[in-house]
Amino acid sequence: MENTLILVINPRAIYTRVAVYQGHSILFLKDIQHPDQELGRFSHYIEQVDYRTTKIIKELDDNGICLNCIRAVVGRGGLLKPVESGIYSVNEQVLADLMSEEYGEDPVNLGGILAYYLAKSQDNCTPLIVDPVAVDEFCELARYTGHKEFVKKSIFHALNQKAMARKHAKALMKDYTEMKLIVAHLGSGISVSAHKNGKVIDSNQVLDGDGPFSPERTGSLPTGDVIRYCFNSGKSEDEILDMVMHKGGLYSYLGTYSAYEVDKRVLNGDQEAAKVFEAMAYQVSKEIGAMYAVLDSDIDGIIITGGIANSSWFVGKIIQRVKNMGPVHIYPGMREIESMAHRALSAINGELDIKEYKY
Amino acid sequence: MQACTYHVLCINPGSTSTKIAVYQGSRSLFHMNITHTEEEIGAYEKISDQFSFRKEAILKSLKDNNVDLDCIEAVMGRGGLIKPVPAGVFLVNKALKRDLKNSPLGEHASNLGGLIADDIAQSLPKAKAYIANPVVVDELEPIARISGNPKFQRVSIFHALNQKAIAREFARIHSKKYEDYNLIVAHMGGGITVGAHKKGKVIDVNQGLDGEGPFSPERSGTLPVGQLVEACYSGDYQKAEVRKMIVGKGGLVAYFGTNNARKIEQMALSGEEQPKLVYEAMAYQVAKEIGAMFTALKGEVDAIILTGGLAYSNYFTNQISERVFKLAPVHVYPGEDEMKALAMNATMILSGEVQPLIYQ
Repeated sequence: MENTLILVINPRAIYTRVAVYQGHSILFLKDIQHPDQELGRFSHYIEQVDYRTTKIIKELDDNGICLNCIRAVVGRGGLLKPVESGIYSVNEQVLADLMSEEYGEDPVNLGGILAYYLAKSQDNCTPLIVDPVAVDEFCELARYTGHKEFVKKSIFHALNQKAMARKHAKALMKDYTEMKLIVAHLGSGISVSAHKNGKVIDSNQVLDGDGPFSPERTGSLPTGDVIRYCFNSGKSEDEILDMVMHKGGLYSYLGTYSAYEVDKRVLNGDQEAAKVFEAMAYQVSKEIGAMYAVLDSDIDGIIITGGIANSSWFVGKIIQRVKNMGPVHIYPGMREIESMAHRALSAINGELDIKEYKY
Repeated sequence: MQACTYHVLCINPGSTSTKIAVYQGSRSLFHMNITHTEEEIGAYEKISDQFSFRKEAILKSLKDNNVDLDCIEAVMGRGGLIKPVPAGVFLVNKALKRDLKNSPLGEHASNLGGLIADDIAQSLPKAKAYIANPVVVDELEPIARISGNPKFQRVSIFHALNQKAIAREFARIHSKKYEDYNLIVAHMGGGITVGAHKKGKVIDVNQGLDGEGPFSPERSGTLPVGQLVEACYSGDYQKAEVRKMIVGKGGLVAYFGTNNARKIEQMALSGEEQPKLVYEAMAYQVAKEIGAMFTALKGEVDAIILTGGLAYSNYFTNQISERVFKLAPVHVYPGEDEMKALAMNATMILSGEVQPLIYQ
């Protein structure tokens, strides 16, 4: 099936990353930008479906890519009910849960929705999602919080974490399902997770307030202070949640979401930037230490990945704290697109089961 | 003069009782737990109003038991919620009394400790009043203070008295100084705090009062912030009710309606699934906090010490040890003896081993 084309879609807040693969080779990769003046008329991400679909089709058309040859459209999986790791067809139920935003609002939800509509417009084309952020393989103990009204959910960078862990295992000629690894994904959100024999048995919940702070999120905050702030600050619920999810972390201290810029400031001698950036590394290290205990202090290695893994200053600050635990391996960047393409190819070739998401 | 000859009166006011003790060096000469009925306590609007009532109860108990106070050289009060201070023993002075009366952090029975100690010391021929290692001892490294938002600074509130006393005891047994060690100390009582002790300073610790860390018999510890915000705005709870969910009615109380960990352990051992999972989850979270503190100390840790009431349970400490024993040797010092810790601190002052600090 040499002519089998696979379209990969990873929607972010202000751009849509699209890639086209032929077999294992990438033919095309583009970040389709969505400037403010175009997005301004939408108040919710899901309203952008037609807009983004049109942009994607035009982009492919302009680059001479034959839409009819696409056998699978694989979208970044969104906020769904908890599921096991794997590749899923985008069925009516997936579509309904993403459209209703029942499990949360995030641009990542558009991945499955766009895949569905793009695939539907073609003959013989399968819409898929891979390792949605809702992948849930937690051990029982990881689910408990200090109050029965609150439940710890498994929401983390499942796709990239698993892709990097598999890549690492392969490089060592080992089997991912026989290793104990701690994987720290350092992006605009940060997730640190304990991988035990191929399953992520614990992780900080990356979305709204658990674990280390990140470029845009606060991570955990002292609960008493949060309560006082909710009742006394005069802010609305949405304002506070926005602060926790989008206006916390590096942004709240340094006024930028860009860890790349913060890294530059640090290297240019900015003390304030160094203090906050190092504190973020400190919190990541503490979360790695916590996951070390989860894995009974017995691990094959620590993997540091995501965009911020490109900062050797930042990674160095982590290494000095965690080096006694095991070998640290750095895999900067993301393999989301490649991982989605390869696994979609395996799926339509029948080498991987396509799972059905059920209500 | 030998250290063992110093006489010390210790006063430790809790919410419904006042513990008093007289020590000669490390030897306890007299111990008493004066319980206060709800009617007695309920008669006062504010905790600070209980000052005279508690003081008279203490003096009466001492008199009834023929305790000779003339030889007392130090009256130690359990420290309260004052401003953040370095670790050590503080002479009760004007500034300290002012903050104990009008606590910047809120009312707490232990605030009465220093006030009553001072009052009693003034009536004695050669005694001075002190407090030691209050819960607000703050030796955090700057990096540990930074949270995910500048509006929410991390602060140090923990079981400083017991953590430091046990750490010193550990060092003494091993014929070394506390300041020579890197230790992780987990105090596990009604609240749980896990401190990273670096050469005698607690450079990071979960804020045990109303903040973060493992859940405990009656506190929730860290909760997912988003869900907490939603609870605050749900309209289902008053502010005081949400606060109760995290302090007093969190943790084991939230799940089972009791803070009696032994009872939950019995249920777990008899095969009840939910108590077993929650009890083990509490140990799991303590282990995770220990792992986190391991990185605060850059992986250079001489020992892990488990102390407090929960450390009496082998079941509980084993759950933790299994996860962390590879980090450093685990030592268990069950229980806590705040009175002895206060006396020990007094002896260090009276013998001249350390100087008292001045609160400003």
